Amino acid sequence: MIHLENVSKVYSNGTEALKNIDLDIQNGEFVFIVGPSGAGKSTFLKLLMHEEKATFGKIIVNGYNLMKIKKRRVPYLRRTMGIVFQDFRLIEKMSVYDNIAFAMRVIGKPEKVIKKRVKQVIRLVGLEGKDKRRPNELSGGEQQRVSLARALINKPELIIADEPTGNIDPERSYDIMKMLSVISERGTTVVVVTHEHDLVNEFGGRVLWIEDGEIVSDKFIPTKYHSKEPYIDNTDNTDKTNTEVD
Amino acid sequence: MKLSSLGYLIKEGFKNIRTNRMMTLASIVVLASCLIITGAASLISVNVSTLISKIGDDNELTVYLDLELNNIDSIKLGAELKKIKNVERCTYYPKDEAIKEYKENLGDVYESMQGDGNPFPNAYKVQIDDLSKYKETVSQIKKIDGVDSVSDRSGIASALTKLNYFVTIVGFWLVLILAVVTMFIISNTIKMTMYSRRYEISIMKSVGATNRFVRIPFVVEAMTIGLLSGVLASAVLLLIYDPVRQFGAGIVRMIGTSTIPESQIWLPLVVTMSCVGMLIGLVGGSVSITKYLKKEGGGILGW
Repeated sequence: MIHLENVSKVYSNGTEALKNIDLDIQNGEFVFIVGPSGAGKSTFLKLLMHEEKATFGKIIVNGYNLMKIKKRRVPYLRRTMGIVFQDFRLIEKMSVYDNIAFAMRVIGKPEKVIKKRVKQVIRLVGLEGKDKRRPNELSGGEQQRVSLARALINKPELIIADEPTGNIDPERSYDIMKMLSVISERGTTVVVVTHEHDLVNEFGGRVLWIEDGEIVSDKFIPTKYHSKEPYIDNTDNTDKTNTEVD
Repeated sequence: MKLSSLGYLIKEGFKNIRTNRMMTLASIVVLASCLIITGAASLISVNVSTLISKIGDDNELTVYLDLELNNIDSIKLGAELKKIKNVERCTYYPKDEAIKEYKENLGDVYESMQGDGNPFPNAYKVQIDDLSKYKETVSQIKKIDGVDSVSDRSGIASALTKLNYFVTIVGFWLVLILAVVTMFIISNTIKMTMYSRRYEISIMKSVGATNRFVRIPFVVEAMTIGLLSGVLASAVLLLIYDPVRQFGAGIVRMIGTSTIPESQIWLPLVVTMSCVGMLIGLVGGSVSITKYLKKEGGGILGW
């Protein structure tokens, strides 16, 4: 769950990026954040990821109070979320398998568990048979699927996607959004920042319009898309807890 | 931290070294050069200190006789020496033995020298009983007819003390300056590694890796560079130690003592150099990583 109460962010150069934001996002919600460039969308995501700290107000994400969180606890907050970047941020020298497994390795999961889970997630994003390839051997859409698989690997409570379709063609964009929609249907909160209004209209859900640092509109758009294929994440949930290992 | 994670991180550290091998090699050469200079200064200092302490402990004097004094008169003079109260024992040291020893020390160098006369006088090695009466005894000896001079070892000791002081002071500043330089070099190597791996670091942080987890491979890399530099520096120092020691052996033997043999020095040298190298690596690496890890998200990628 995400809870923001009277949140403002003023950068050291005086720029007021967010002004008095009040917002609640419930578990499993699918939320689009839209708005023009420089409106404060990126700042909003940075606050959720605790890459930036709010100047005023109160922020609670997945049970962590971000105004009071200690530095050493921040990694544990981040283990509750998966992040998908516009530029994919894949490691070129690593294979698809290693790029995905990397997110589990850095939180100290044993190789046996990693192997099993990576296999499942690769199947989930439709990259079977491509696990040994390097990112530069994949199309943009496939690279974004790897990025999505990496975000999903640790079974996060929240997926944050920052312009996930910004670097891929419309057809592949639709596929990515379809996957995010399916993930949301299974109870994971999904927050997507996008410029693509066609996708917002197609997939619908809660749409927050940010302009000049303020939420100027918060409405629900009914979806035109209905998932035909069932979500097949057949993993047992015994490993769901993000244990504090480092 | 789990053992499997630690193994993974150490492996990553070694992988970094392989990936940045040119920069690693450059760092090792520069750091090893600094360590060689530092180590050489330390070895000189340790040897001079040993010489000083040996001379201080030694209660033997060399009494040089007049060059004109023949062997019979020289032996008679020995009886005079024995009469002095503070003289415990005195041993005759004829000039033939002196030249023989000199030839042995100089070897080929002596052969190339001009002239064939023996420039050395007959002498006595005198063991004195009470070191506190050193000066008094020397003046008594000097009064005996036929005595040309007495080796004034207190002068040598004082000269060596001055030399040691100089080596220590210069060595201290040298070590300090070189330590800063080498830390800077290691820190730059680590910065370059971090730059080349900025995506990895940003991803690591975004998926919840702790700073300690991010830091370990870089620390392993920096410490390995330090260790390899330490080993290389000690190997070079050991290679040149014996020839330099042989070169100075003649002078050292003339003042009746000896330097530290290589067999006693190699282990402490290798251990100290390796530890100092690793310590410099640890500090240099940690400083740059700590600075870098304060950055978040785009800050990591943008620097």
